[in-house]
Amino acid sequence: MSAGAKILIVGFSFAMIVVSFLIGIWAKRKADTAQAFFGGTALFGPFTVGLSTMSAVASAFAIVGIPGIIYATGNPMSFWMLSSAAFGMAYIILGKKVRAMAELGPISSLGDISDLRFQKSRYIKAVMSLVLFLGCIAYLAAQIKGVSVMFAHLLGWNFYVTGFLIFGVLIAYMIIGGEAGGIMTQAFQGLVMAVAGIIIIIGFFVVTGGFGNVLEAVAKAGEVTGGGVTKKMSADFLNAWGVLPGQVSMVYMLVPILGTVGQPQVLTRMYALKNPRDMPKLGLWAALSHAVVGFLAIVMGFGALYLVATGKIAPLAKADTAAAVFADHLGIWGQLLFYATVLAAAMSSASMFLSLSAGIISRDLPAAFGLKAVDGPTQIKRFRVTMGVLGVIAVALALTNDSMVAILGTFGWGTLMTATFPVFVVGLLWKRASKEGVATGLSIALVLNVICFVLVQNKFKFPGAIPWYFNVIVFSIVATVVVSLFTSGAAGKNLDRAVEKVIDL
Amino acid sequence: MERKQTAMMLAIALAWLAVLILGWNGAWLIAMVLSVFLMLGHMVLGATHNGKLDAGFLAYPLLTWTALWVASFLLSAYYAEAFRGKVPDFTILGFHPSFAWTIITYWIGGIASLSVGLYAMRDRWLSEADWETFKSDIAAIKAQGGQA
Repeated sequence: MSAGAKILIVGFSFAMIVVSFLIGIWAKRKADTAQAFFGGTALFGPFTVGLSTMSAVASAFAIVGIPGIIYATGNPMSFWMLSSAAFGMAYIILGKKVRAMAELGPISSLGDISDLRFQKSRYIKAVMSLVLFLGCIAYLAAQIKGVSVMFAHLLGWNFYVTGFLIFGVLIAYMIIGGEAGGIMTQAFQGLVMAVAGIIIIIGFFVVTGGFGNVLEAVAKAGEVTGGGVTKKMSADFLNAWGVLPGQVSMVYMLVPILGTVGQPQVLTRMYALKNPRDMPKLGLWAALSHAVVGFLAIVMGFGALYLVATGKIAPLAKADTAAAVFADHLGIWGQLLFYATVLAAAMSSASMFLSLSAGIISRDLPAAFGLKAVDGPTQIKRFRVTMGVLGVIAVALALTNDSMVAILGTFGWGTLMTATFPVFVVGLLWKRASKEGVATGLSIALVLNVICFVLVQNKFKFPGAIPWYFNVIVFSIVATVVVSLFTSGAAGKNLDRAVEKVIDL
Repeated sequence: MERKQTAMMLAIALAWLAVLILGWNGAWLIAMVLSVFLMLGHMVLGATHNGKLDAGFLAYPLLTWTALWVASFLLSAYYAEAFRGKVPDFTILGFHPSFAWTIITYWIGGIASLSVGLYAMRDRWLSEADWETFKSDIAAIKAQGGQA
């Protein structure tokens, strides 16, 4: 990469970090209550919330990791990245219910909704918070590690300095602006991702001449060898299922589509919306911006395949360099926009998961363990201290402990689904979802997440090549429903009248 | 009303289990098609208002989306099999005929039905009157000293 390109990338990245910081400070005036500070509750319009939701969902892995998987295995992962309809589905399933819960009482976190629905069940709140924390901290560590490695390598900077610089600023603006600031900065970062995505997609067509050329090149390439690496290609590589078993396509389709409704970055944004009747508009903004970012990941993977198939580059020694290698072929502006997109994706997801983790530690878990409630300003003070301490620890551990990041990588999207489906999807769609049923479903989720984590570390093969988390999701949902049929805590006749109105809405 | 809701939730739980067992046993295409109905079940429960689902909303976006996605998976499977091990003799928009349906019906069709459909039918999903009634009901419950 040329020195000019590096200067441009540093300049643009620095500008983006500064603008994010300024937005975070500006948002402070909006975060004047505990609800606004923790949840941005009922504060924002559909455009801001839509972009914020998309950018928090699309992590740096989507921009860097997914093109690598497509390069290595073909199209199964495309189902995941083309799941833009998931936002509409999520809002149809839970949008009005979750937003309506914010009319029942002060809502600052998912734990507050759980309290209202399950009559302040401390057990449900505690277990849900623990499982959510596992998933959030895993995401956070992965963003910190991935971006620090990439930018340190790219710019030739010290790895620790790079990590603390990028995420130190992020921690600072999140401490100042809270979740209200988080939502606004994520919206800005989402806009950067969408605009950069459109330009890179145009670049893909310029470089390759379109998908027909990619298919022709890949279909005719056969085995390509170079630099000591051999890559086998065929037309089957680019059919809908690629070279993996069909079960993988099935899971990569169902888990992101239906799983979106169970992601905290989607659920929390439902109550951040000022007017619930704007939710369909929010769904459109989220879907359209996600469509750009999802398609971007696809074209980066296809682009790398094209370059290898046409002999322009040797087969990649590491598949996860596919996106960066393709960006290099787009020229200086392609490189600039690619790194800006990665940085925006990492910062938006990291800020969301840092805020959620800090909220769980400073607010939800103490309440679940029966500690005395404190007033709003004290909550905000504690949250800020927790965010600072947790942020610094997360950055330090992510940068110094490779094995921890790898281990935490086990948890993620699926883990978050196991925490939220029993409480929100079953709990807000079904009046007979009982306290006991949800507690059982969550307990099973927690135990199976831990057991599967051990099994994954020991290279256990799950039946039918189905990922472990899919098994856990199914067992926790089935247990929730079955136990609810025979119990009645906070359900049926014991259901709060206001909650009943929410389920009926 | 509550019975219907319970029956639907039981069907959802059974569908989750069936999708998993089918996946374990390699019957993934059937599982994919079944999972469309699993998702439809969730959306029907979410869109139902006071125990009733608006017929217009059921037709579009819900059933339109269902038809598009079932067609998507079946067409992808058909063309993947038809051209297995060989170069396809035609493309659709430049894509492999199997993958083209992921683009056309799964991705674009998904957005055109669920995202655009929810926006186009927003008043059937949540009308101003329903929202105001809900808020006044909650206010009344609060005034009577209910939990809310």
